[in-house]
Amino acid sequence: MATVSSPTGLINITIDGRAVSVAPGTSVFDAARISGIPIPTLCHLQNETPVGVCRLCVVDTGARVLTASCVRPVEPGMKVETQSGKVLAARKTLLELLMADHPSPCARQQKSGDCELETLAKSAGIEQSRFAKRTVARGLDDSSLAIAVDHDACILCDRCIRGCDEIKNNFVLGRMGKGYSTGIAFDLNAPMGNSTCISCGECMVSCPTGALTNKGVAGTSIAASEDGYTFQAEELLRIPVFKGVSGTFLELNRGAIVKRRYRKGEVICREGEFGSTAFYLVEGAAKVSISSPIAHVKTHGGAKGFFKRLTSTLVDRREDVREEETRDRTIPIDASVDLSYGNPVASLGPGDLFGEMTCLNFYPRSATVRAESDVVAYEMLRNVLDIMMKNKTFRAQIDANYRERALENHLRGVPMFADLSPDFIDHLKQSVELQRFAPGEVIARQGDPADSFYLIRIGFVKISENYPGGAMVLAYLSRGDYFGEIGLLGGGVRTAMCTALDHVEVVRIAGDDFRQMVERFPAVRKGLEAVADERRLANEQRLKTVDSVPLDQFLSQGLMEAQSLLVLDLQKCTRCDACVNACADAHDGVTRLVRDGLRFEQYLIATSCRQCRDPLCMVGCPVGSIRRRNSLEVIIEDWCIGCGLCARNCPYGNINLHPFQVMNEDPDHPGRTKAVVKQKATSCDLCTNLAEPSCVYACPHDAAHRVDPKKFFADAIGQLPTY
Amino acid sequence: MRIDSTQRTWAIASAVIFAVSLSAYIVYAHNSIQGARGGSAIGLAFGVLGFAFMLFAALLGARKRAPVWRLGRAQAWMRGHLWLGALSLPIILFHGGFHFGGTLTRVLMWLLIFTVFSGLFGAVLQHYIPRVMTADVPLETIYDEIGNVRNLLLEEADRAMEGLCGAIGGSKTSEEEIQRAGGFTAMRPMAAPTKGSAAVAPAAEILLLSEEESSPLRHFYFNEVRPFLERPAEHRLLVSDLHRSQLGFSGLRTLLPEGARATVDDLEDVCEEARQLKKQQRLYRWLHLWLLVHIPISLALIVLGAVHAVMALKY
Repeated sequence: MATVSSPTGLINITIDGRAVSVAPGTSVFDAARISGIPIPTLCHLQNETPVGVCRLCVVDTGARVLTASCVRPVEPGMKVETQSGKVLAARKTLLELLMADHPSPCARQQKSGDCELETLAKSAGIEQSRFAKRTVARGLDDSSLAIAVDHDACILCDRCIRGCDEIKNNFVLGRMGKGYSTGIAFDLNAPMGNSTCISCGECMVSCPTGALTNKGVAGTSIAASEDGYTFQAEELLRIPVFKGVSGTFLELNRGAIVKRRYRKGEVICREGEFGSTAFYLVEGAAKVSISSPIAHVKTHGGAKGFFKRLTSTLVDRREDVREEETRDRTIPIDASVDLSYGNPVASLGPGDLFGEMTCLNFYPRSATVRAESDVVAYEMLRNVLDIMMKNKTFRAQIDANYRERALENHLRGVPMFADLSPDFIDHLKQSVELQRFAPGEVIARQGDPADSFYLIRIGFVKISENYPGGAMVLAYLSRGDYFGEIGLLGGGVRTAMCTALDHVEVVRIAGDDFRQMVERFPAVRKGLEAVADERRLANEQRLKTVDSVPLDQFLSQGLMEAQSLLVLDLQKCTRCDACVNACADAHDGVTRLVRDGLRFEQYLIATSCRQCRDPLCMVGCPVGSIRRRNSLEVIIEDWCIGCGLCARNCPYGNINLHPFQVMNEDPDHPGRTKAVVKQKATSCDLCTNLAEPSCVYACPHDAAHRVDPKKFFADAIGQLPTY
Repeated sequence: MRIDSTQRTWAIASAVIFAVSLSAYIVYAHNSIQGARGGSAIGLAFGVLGFAFMLFAALLGARKRAPVWRLGRAQAWMRGHLWLGALSLPIILFHGGFHFGGTLTRVLMWLLIFTVFSGLFGAVLQHYIPRVMTADVPLETIYDEIGNVRNLLLEEADRAMEGLCGAIGGSKTSEEEIQRAGGFTAMRPMAAPTKGSAAVAPAAEILLLSEEESSPLRHFYFNEVRPFLERPAEHRLLVSDLHRSQLGFSGLRTLLPEGARATVDDLEDVCEEARQLKKQQRLYRWLHLWLLVHIPISLALIVLGAVHAVMALKY
């Protein structure tokens, strides 16, 4: 027999026949827990406010209906039954209903066998639900780097929402929809990876099922080595730059960040190598440089004498000026500093971050970094860098570093900004906004009002325009490039769509600042207007050409506006490869021709840059050395580091790497040089020094021809050329 | 090389040379008391001319070794090789007065005949086969890559089967690769992939046949498709022949549920590509293997021809 209250102020109740005394306000659930009487639950966690949504903790208090014990406070004299037939039957029905809506085994059950729902169902003897399964899937969200979301496995217990809001105060998670289509949502139903979620992992740790699971990003551990020290989560939290990062996250990603020590002269990372980590310099100084020769491939000879073959050599832009070559004075690299064309060497110090693009976008390293003194650096994987970049403390420090050290160089790297006065640069340092965009996110939409000017700091931006036959990529812009000036200088409307191709960071100069700049510095205005006019003219030219050719035939095969194509008549070709051999013979043994490609009736369109609608070769160049001329032909700038990414990206195999032997400084023997092989990207040059390309000249079967594609295909498809 | 109207100049020039030579020979043979002989002045002239034609034809091989030397377009050399090489036979017959002579000259005559006819045979092959290959093998690839492409087809077929029937055993394809690619999705290879920025995608309808349902497909795959992809030379297999393959796949479709049709179509496409590669290999061999006969006997002809010339002039 329970009493109203004990002399100590506690409330006496009976649970399953056992007398229990608890403080007023205690829930029945907690009272039972304190007494060692287990009550099953799914939605309730000790450190979260009870909400009583799963109803699995129902108990019989003698009232008209069963009550959820997690939200029901004890009352004096209450008699509680937790295991009565009525209660067990209700719980079983609830479990069956939940299981009918649950993909079994869910990810968590598959991984670690501890899905709380499936464990409870199993203990209740439920093998198959009596109720019909859900017919419409709620979908997966794989957009986050760290956490996988399976909406089908979500039981709407709200534990994740309370974890996000109450524990972490991030307020990212909430509910969306109603009725049968209710689900959890990030921000205003954005994909998790694009939301403001900082991947702290609290939701994942709170989730009772496989709805939110750790993706265990591939290779979460950086390869261990003698000089690497793997941190414990507690140690990381004591380091200032990790202040505010979730301990849960750091625990889950233990091994994804290591402390490394480098002795003076040691290489931290080497240009052209593929990697997946970024480095944060803690102590010491490092030298960042490009060891590839700053030059491009030039093919000589062949014009005189019949024994003379072509020879490819490296020459820089002072010796060989090419049409529309960039006159930039800086080389963009994946660090907080840029390199100068004349002397591609710079220094990095404590607080500098380098390798962001490699880490976030898996591009090759853009430069070689060598320790100038003894160096301590944190090497981190993408998931750690990603969350750190969302960490306000760290982010503020990196942004401040950038504003202080690199923004000026970055701005001055654009030739027309070279003359900006120091006071205006100082003004810009304070007023510009650094913005980040996720892959696929639209930065500016064609037709929208133009309100900003953008300078790319990290990543690639795709500039495309809508044409009658479909969208066409005008350019891929990378670090150091800018966009938005046409709209601001012209009619105030965006003329092209600008989309982030990967993780992009831009420096946004607001329209007012931009207008102030062009008013104060007429030279800047003149330069920008000239570029804008040039771009507009090129676009109009393109539009005219596009109008005059059958788009589906040309654009779809990437043949539009090609200056010249190598066409093989397959009805004559005996597949002897004389053309390929001739090409190799003409270019120091390196062929620039592969006898493969697209077919157009009996013709095989073999090699040579075809000025594609979507020039994938330009995506990912770590130093931004490949770009288009206005004619759409590709030009490879002098600072190509020979990483080969463009060659791999070109779907037609039209970019090749040409090896050269060069003399480089020997790091093991200062003051001495040693011969090393460096590669440079090249594409077919149509043997411009020769009267006829070698491949055509060497074809014994009259099968290989260099043709003007518009004439050739117009004839081939029964249309007259329209120009 | 196609023998077409673009070769008219060479054809006319060759016909003229032949007509002039034939006229000269008829006059010479008619007026000569002892009949046409290789040792006579006109006979020697025919011999020199014929050997010169043979030498020119043989030099094509050397020309190909220096493709960028500006010695004239390879196409002109090839046409010269064809027409002058063919002319060398009647000229040499005029040289010997249609007599085969002693042992060496007899050997030389037969070598010449074999060389010229093997060359003509090759020219005919090179005239027709590229057209056949272009028409019948639209999925042609680089010859040396055929092995790799075949391996890729095998992988593709295995993946298609895994997608419909679950693990098929013996293949180390999709699952391991997806696992390496990392992430939670690795554990659910059938999950709908997310596309572009629309990361929250509805799950695709997943069709996984039961053991019983997939039995006819498994049987067909392991007894017909896979063996053909692994050993394309086996002719007894249904899928090695287009007509029988179509029948086999049609029959298979009737035994499977509607949802399996896409996978069966994929497998049929894979088999078609493999058949095309097999045909490409066969045609490629026809295009090039005759050279294994033509080139050695041509070289022997040139060497023995030179020996004959020296011996005849000296002794």
